[in-house]
Amino acid sequence: MKWNQKVRDLSVETVSLSFVVLFVYAATSKLWDFQQFRVQLGQSPILTAYADGVAWMVPGVEYLLALLLLFTRSRLVAFYGSFALMVMFTTYIVLVLHFSDYIPCSCGGVLEDLGWTEHIVFNLFFVILAVIAIVQLETPPTLKTSVS
Amino acid sequence: MKKGNTAVKLLGTSSLGMGLVILLFLASEQQVHRNNAFTRRYPPHPVIKQYDLDIGYNSYYIAGFDNDLLYLGNRTAPWHLLQIHLGTQDTTHIRMEPIDKELRYRSLQTKVLPPYFFVMDGTIPFILRGQTKDWKAHTWLEGHAYFTKALPIDSDRVFIRTISANTQKSTLGLIEKNDRFQIHLDTTLLETQIDGIFDVDGTMVLSKEGSTIGYVYYYRNQYMTMNLEMKNLTRKRTIDTVQTAQISPAEKNKRGQVTLKSPPLFINKSAYMSQNLLLIASDRLGKNESEKMLEKATIIDVYHYGKGTYEFSFYLYHIKEHKAREFAVHRGHLIALIDTQVSVYQTREPFFNEPLSNTIASDQK
Repeated sequence: MKWNQKVRDLSVETVSLSFVVLFVYAATSKLWDFQQFRVQLGQSPILTAYADGVAWMVPGVEYLLALLLLFTRSRLVAFYGSFALMVMFTTYIVLVLHFSDYIPCSCGGVLEDLGWTEHIVFNLFFVILAVIAIVQLETPPTLKTSVS
Repeated sequence: MKKGNTAVKLLGTSSLGMGLVILLFLASEQQVHRNNAFTRRYPPHPVIKQYDLDIGYNSYYIAGFDNDLLYLGNRTAPWHLLQIHLGTQDTTHIRMEPIDKELRYRSLQTKVLPPYFFVMDGTIPFILRGQTKDWKAHTWLEGHAYFTKALPIDSDRVFIRTISANTQKSTLGLIEKNDRFQIHLDTTLLETQIDGIFDVDGTMVLSKEGSTIGYVYYYRNQYMTMNLEMKNLTRKRTIDTVQTAQISPAEKNKRGQVTLKSPPLFINKSAYMSQNLLLIASDRLGKNESEKMLEKATIIDVYHYGKGTYEFSFYLYHIKEHKAREFAVHRGHLIALIDTQVSVYQTREPFFNEPLSNTIASDQK
């Protein structure tokens, strides 16, 4: 049990840390070249009409989630938030790929080199990480769980 | 129990997230296509440059097409035509000839509409017509009606803009020749906002394939389309937001001339119609567009005139700081006249290949 507990804590810790790194990096790189980011959003076939609002909201939410992930108390809520955000990003990509009039140029930073399909895989990986963390946190530590 | 609870929560969160994005997508589609939110969309490469051809002079204008042949008229050499094969880039010089050697003229304009060509001067006024096989221009119309703009739409019909004797305002009309001439003016088409002359100025357009003619105002976000009988009028708006012409005509001077006090605000600088698309050149900036771009290119907005929707935009790049002064679309090519060059682009699917929505209107007798 003690050992299990440790593994559990460590895995949750690792997952939240990787989310923090991801979000802080993503948000910072957006704000770094904010003008460019807003123009890109404006040219995205889905967000054209809301580029102004969304341009501020996305990095804002990313920073907020990163902050919440750092504290044990707010971690569970933050994971639900991260999960929702990653699902939204993934939905966005799927919509762009299959339903929009054209496919815009992709994200900035290191992800620039990712194709859209790789991007979906990347996102889904983080979605799965979030699910794992949530399940871990939702399961009371005192309960005996058999590893399946 | 607990496990199930978590699963429900996860499912709820994910469907909420997906629903939100899908809603955003649908709303954005709606707004960009129909609500005239002045926001452009630039899909990647709807046109691809094929070549620039130097034609030596900047006085050429687009006179028309015949299959793969492009005809350029010349303002300073009015009886001269330059024929360019768009595929092979072969150029041929053509000399048109009026049958009436004594013909007096002030400003000639040539339009090629195979198998005919028209040579027009609205200030004399006359319209000559000839066949492209021998380039001899016979008198078609003489006297009858002065006109300020004219666009031949088929062998016997010319779409004109003239000053109405009754209203003293600009009006659109049709000159038709069956066994005799008929001139039909419709003074309700152009809607006066300021003086009825300057403020209604604009570009005449024709889509042969779509059997549609149209008029695009220079100074307001509006265009209209009609069939070749000037019936079935529909008025549509462009993505721009300027609804009222922003021009200030001064009082008439001693010679009865009216000039503009300040430079007018051009909304639709020029336009061209092809198949079911209306292309409008604009240098007005929308949301999220950089001003620097206008130093490098002209923006072309593409509309589906039948549906009245905005489709997409693309850049027509300058050549050495010279803007495109005229452009046209014909059979998979986009042609732009820039300084002494002809720029030829290839138009790409799926942007330019939509089938005609209203099947070629039943033959006009």
